[in-house]
Amino acid sequence: MSLSVIYEAVVVGFKECFKAGIVWLIFSAYIVANGKRISIMPFYYGILCVFLISAASFFLPREFVNREYLSNFISTSFAVIFLASGAALFHASGANPEAKGGLGGIAVFLFTILFFSPDAVGSVLFLKELSLMKEAEVMTYVSALAGVFLAAGLALVIRKASNPAWLGSFFTLPQLLLFLAIVKLLSGGIKGIAEISLIPAVQRGFMKFSHDFIHQTLVILMVPDHLLLSTTVWDFIGIFFGPNLASIVSLLALLFFPFMFIYYSLLKPAPEPEAGRGPERRKIKYLLLSDRRRKALPVVFFVCIIVTTWFMQRGEPVTKLYNPKPKPVVEEQGAVMIPLDDPTMNLRDGALHKFALTHQGEEIRIMIIRKPDNALSVCLDACEICPPDGYGQSGEHVICIYCITPIPISALGEPGGCNPIPLSASVDSKFVRIELGEILKKWEYVKSGKSKEGIK
Amino acid sequence: MSFIVLRDVIKEYKTAHALRGVSMEVEKGQWLNIVGPSGSGKSTLLNIIGGLDSASSGEVIIDSTNLGGLSENDMAVFRREKIGFIFQQSHLIPYLTAVENVMLAQYFHSMADEQEAVDALARVGLGHRLKHRPSQLSGGEQQRVCIARALINSPEILLADEPTGNLDRENTKVILELLKKIHSEEHFTIILVTHDPFVSQWGQRVLTMEDGKIKCDEFICYL
Repeated sequence: MSLSVIYEAVVVGFKECFKAGIVWLIFSAYIVANGKRISIMPFYYGILCVFLISAASFFLPREFVNREYLSNFISTSFAVIFLASGAALFHASGANPEAKGGLGGIAVFLFTILFFSPDAVGSVLFLKELSLMKEAEVMTYVSALAGVFLAAGLALVIRKASNPAWLGSFFTLPQLLLFLAIVKLLSGGIKGIAEISLIPAVQRGFMKFSHDFIHQTLVILMVPDHLLLSTTVWDFIGIFFGPNLASIVSLLALLFFPFMFIYYSLLKPAPEPEAGRGPERRKIKYLLLSDRRRKALPVVFFVCIIVTTWFMQRGEPVTKLYNPKPKPVVEEQGAVMIPLDDPTMNLRDGALHKFALTHQGEEIRIMIIRKPDNALSVCLDACEICPPDGYGQSGEHVICIYCITPIPISALGEPGGCNPIPLSASVDSKFVRIELGEILKKWEYVKSGKSKEGIK
Repeated sequence: MSFIVLRDVIKEYKTAHALRGVSMEVEKGQWLNIVGPSGSGKSTLLNIIGGLDSASSGEVIIDSTNLGGLSENDMAVFRREKIGFIFQQSHLIPYLTAVENVMLAQYFHSMADEQEAVDALARVGLGHRLKHRPSQLSGGEQQRVCIARALINSPEILLADEPTGNLDRENTKVILELLKKIHSEEHFTIILVTHDPFVSQWGQRVLTMEDGKIKCDEFICYL
């Protein structure tokens, strides 16, 4: 048993509980500042439900909860909360400057469950796996509990030291929702220390979207020849979905609503009060403006946090890629046979496996990985359009090392764009068999840099 | 209760007594002139009423607020909301224009509003001198800017300490006429300190001070 187990478990316990503590702190301050028009009880009921859901997930068989679906659920819950905050910011920034919104008890209850339960379940499963892997069940759970108590204590100390009325004066509904989205973004990762935030996943998602959008647009425009989709052209087009521009564009997309709100709060003139003498009118206007600016402060603060962490964690998908050294394979009787299982590897273990075939002095790389539906995906370690630098694995994605495009493992086997070029292969109980002709034919596309006949 | 009430107000300095038990009441909307020789305690009394100075003992109650119980911040708010000041020297910011000087008072009250400041200057007859700096204005014009600045936040009390002390008779009359006109329109309370017998006749009441005490208090005809 190593100290790293204790550390990871403490971090996971601390993170989940501190997240709940900080949300509780801000939400209760919001309630105080809004004259206690809503109750905090639905929040507590929601937390209780999250606790029950997490406890139930602990007893579920390992296969029952699909890790990828859970990750998607976490990302989706972030997206829902972020879009809700955007809608609320937009509402507050629109034609009705004093638009008020409220939270109902049921909404609070459901939001609490949506917000906490996927992360909590993910953390429980992570702890379970950690304890089984390291054979340190008691120590793992005790450490996680220690993290929980540490975070709860810290949250209580902050609550004691803070002034809820003052804190709550910075928050109306849009800021509250944006705050939830930020918390989710910064602490929504479920893999302990490795992915404590959702930012790498969000970056991958945005980059994939921008890549697919550009690719599909070009494919539509270039039909049927794809003559321009040569490697040289993609060297330029790649700028748009490479790690720099795509990352910045996606960051700007993420910050659109907050920027709009800040613009409205700081730069738009205040509406003229209808009644009152000069000084009274000015005073009303001044109060409106200063309240607006005060409410913009947390949004500015959140923008700073997003931008800082975004750039701090930029490039993580690249640097943390799992990129195994290809194992040499040989051709026998017109085919390459790769064993499913041998003492050094298991093709169905979920990790990326690479193999190298040397043909006429040229190295051809093949990659095999298990998909979420348990089928094996067999592809060339190259795509149709980029130079054949190959792929690395990052969680539920393989990433093109050249253009940093993330491809979901579930999408492997589909041809086109930056997807790895699929190979027809047969799988029996012992081997994966790939015909040499198939490998050479597809490799030719890589060498030519374009798919003249299309890869189907 | 009267709008301004002073009860046995004493102001002592280390070696001198500026006020020796002053008690008086002023009704809302009244124009009171305080006269007396130099060193009689006129300006000290004005500064205590305006919250610029504090009494050594006694009570100063304005609009039911006892100034002795106010913190420094509350006193600042009180001055901002209730009092307008005019002094013998204009104390205009030399590098700001007339309209900017008035806007500065708005800014410290709440926020600046140029159109309102322009209207205020037009009201005191300076609509054509908006963009002039103090050095480009005559003494009378500077004092009119001060009146606009003092009244821009609609104070309930205007305190004027020798407002015409630097002016000739003609300009003095212009200023007093202006004050009279605005006072009759807005009915705020004026307490004006002067040693000029001509100026002291431009009010409803004259309070004569001598050696830190009220010597005489008489109601006069509003000229």
